[in-house]
Amino acid sequence: MLITIPHMGNVYLAAKALFDGIDVPYVIPEPNNKESLQKGSLYSPEEMCLPFKLMMGNYMQSIEKGADTILITGSCGPCRYGEYCELQIKILSKLGHDLDFIVLDAPGEIGMDEFLRRLGKIFKASSKSRAEKLLAIKRAFRVMDSIEKLEAKAHYLAGYEINKGDCKRILRQCKKDAFGCDNPVEMLRVIKEYLKKINAVPVDKTKNPIKLSIIGEIYTVIEPYSNLNIEDKLMDYGVSTKRLLTPSWWYRDIVLKPLKLNSPGLRRASKEYLPLYIGGHGRECIGEAVLAHKEGMDGAIQIFPLGCMPEIVTKAILPSIQRDKNFPIMSLIVDEMTGEAGFMTRIEAFLDMIKSQKKTN
Amino acid sequence: MHNCYSLGIDVGSVSTNLLLADNNNKIVEKLYLRTSGRPIEVLTKGLSMLKEKMGSKDKIIAVGATGSGRQLAGVLTGADVVKNEITAHAVAASHLVPGVRTILEIGGQDSKIILLKNGVACDFAMNTVCAAGTGSFLDRQAARLDIPIEEFGSYALRANSPVRIAGRCAVFAESDMIHKQQTGHSIENIIAGLCEALVRNYMNNLAKGKEILEPVLFQGGVAANIGIVKAFEKILGVKIIIPQYYDVMGAYGAALLAKEKVESTGNTSFAGFNVVNRDFKARSIECTGCPNMCEVIQIISNGKTIANWGDKCGKWGAVKSEVG
Repeated sequence: MLITIPHMGNVYLAAKALFDGIDVPYVIPEPNNKESLQKGSLYSPEEMCLPFKLMMGNYMQSIEKGADTILITGSCGPCRYGEYCELQIKILSKLGHDLDFIVLDAPGEIGMDEFLRRLGKIFKASSKSRAEKLLAIKRAFRVMDSIEKLEAKAHYLAGYEINKGDCKRILRQCKKDAFGCDNPVEMLRVIKEYLKKINAVPVDKTKNPIKLSIIGEIYTVIEPYSNLNIEDKLMDYGVSTKRLLTPSWWYRDIVLKPLKLNSPGLRRASKEYLPLYIGGHGRECIGEAVLAHKEGMDGAIQIFPLGCMPEIVTKAILPSIQRDKNFPIMSLIVDEMTGEAGFMTRIEAFLDMIKSQKKTN
Repeated sequence: MHNCYSLGIDVGSVSTNLLLADNNNKIVEKLYLRTSGRPIEVLTKGLSMLKEKMGSKDKIIAVGATGSGRQLAGVLTGADVVKNEITAHAVAASHLVPGVRTILEIGGQDSKIILLKNGVACDFAMNTVCAAGTGSFLDRQAARLDIPIEEFGSYALRANSPVRIAGRCAVFAESDMIHKQQTGHSIENIIAGLCEALVRNYMNNLAKGKEILEPVLFQGGVAANIGIVKAFEKILGVKIIIPQYYDVMGAYGAALLAKEKVESTGNTSFAGFNVVNRDFKARSIECTGCPNMCEVIQIISNGKTIANWGDKCGKWGAVKSEVG
């Protein structure tokens, strides 16, 4: 068995820590790039949303390196993501690839027994003891949490840093060094070291940077290639950004959902504008916009892939929030055809607009 | 007696505009040149044309660049300000018409709507994936029908019953126009139909959900098209104001912003008019340093790389030297 996973932000680091920890052979696909997009688009339905195409690209690149097992999460969800795995399995088998798909749907949807059976497929290939396996899982979660913590800090402090580029450099270097580790303990140590570094970045607390929330569809806000590295760019502009949706938010949401304890704050915040779940993370998006305003952010940028049904609904609701609360929100739609020039023009204009509004207020 | 001017440059997809504004922000000279896919050539040509028009003792005290080629123009001229065209258009409009509330702008390949409140932009939208309904599409149709683009609008005014054209997509709009023409509709009615289709498309795409308040300014190259102006007036039911320098508003905004910047910094970083004698080349390379495969643009002048951009990690962007 040679296992692989599709990319989504920093998930590859946690996956690497897990596979290293349980000593199962794996391939981490190259970070998303134009080749993965080209390859993925070639084998995806034209009207399909961007995440699907990029994931297909990841698979193709891993298959070239011998991968025969694909581990993905499912959602059984009322957006296209719920159908991703089925369609991907069909397409890849038509292409003649004999692959084993391990789809981790939420235990609440498929039952705990089925969930454990699927999870067991990965662990069967490991010769480690049960205790070691559990420890590896725990460490993988810790990797995820700590890299996210670092990332969130870097994104926020970028607006306050005294030496321009410190935060971006530390974040970039950390990911690189963490990926170079071949055991989870070492990886956690590296990330911890960088957490110290980011905490020591000289900042000017008297600065009043533009503060933005990044909201929208979960894959495109998390995976930097799909949103043309918007968070990096905003760091370059000295903007502080916050983003709620992360892989660890996602698994906590899944675990807490059956108990209805998932993100009560978001649910309350979204109630006025969108009191029901419309699939995907549409309700979360509305809740985030309202919360961003409450928290004193200067604006929000919504990102979603072309054709994303839940986010199209929220895009139509956001202008009401913008009007009622006098809170600037800009929607950016990403697609394989997205041109960087137009994207940058819009971001720059949005920042200019907020800057001049801040000045007049 | 010598004059001091601010230079505004707008390198767009279809046109490259340059202008000189005097100390009172009055436009004294303007150029509207076709970019024709060769921004560097056209820009240097424009600069030498301006140089000729200026007195020998006149000085450039500030330079601003905007448009999709702003980065390129900024590097070549050593601009003080490199600004996106949305901000530039808003600044120019609120300077010329204080109190403006809505700006409709249609350029070569993009269209925008900007809403302002108290002289400050409060909302905007720009066309996303598709360029249907912009200047280059009109250009193409004018060429296909063998009508000079300058006369395109007047054809629309002579229409007695505009036909309905599918304006959502440029390719299908063209098919639809050909279909209408083959069934016997007059050119005038087809052109008027096209103008209305473009405006409808603009309203559905960009202006959806936006409150259009007067005064409404219409700027960008397409504002020269009287057919589009009439279609806007018909659909919006408001009076459309076309500023005198509608076609160079981006450049004007850039000049104003540059002047403001220089007033605070003290001096300009303008590289001087002798840049026109230098040889500039742009080339793109694919960086193989990591799997990101960034397409890096290099600007080379007299055998020396003077600027790079397009990389994600900052490795190339660090190589930068002044044009000297």
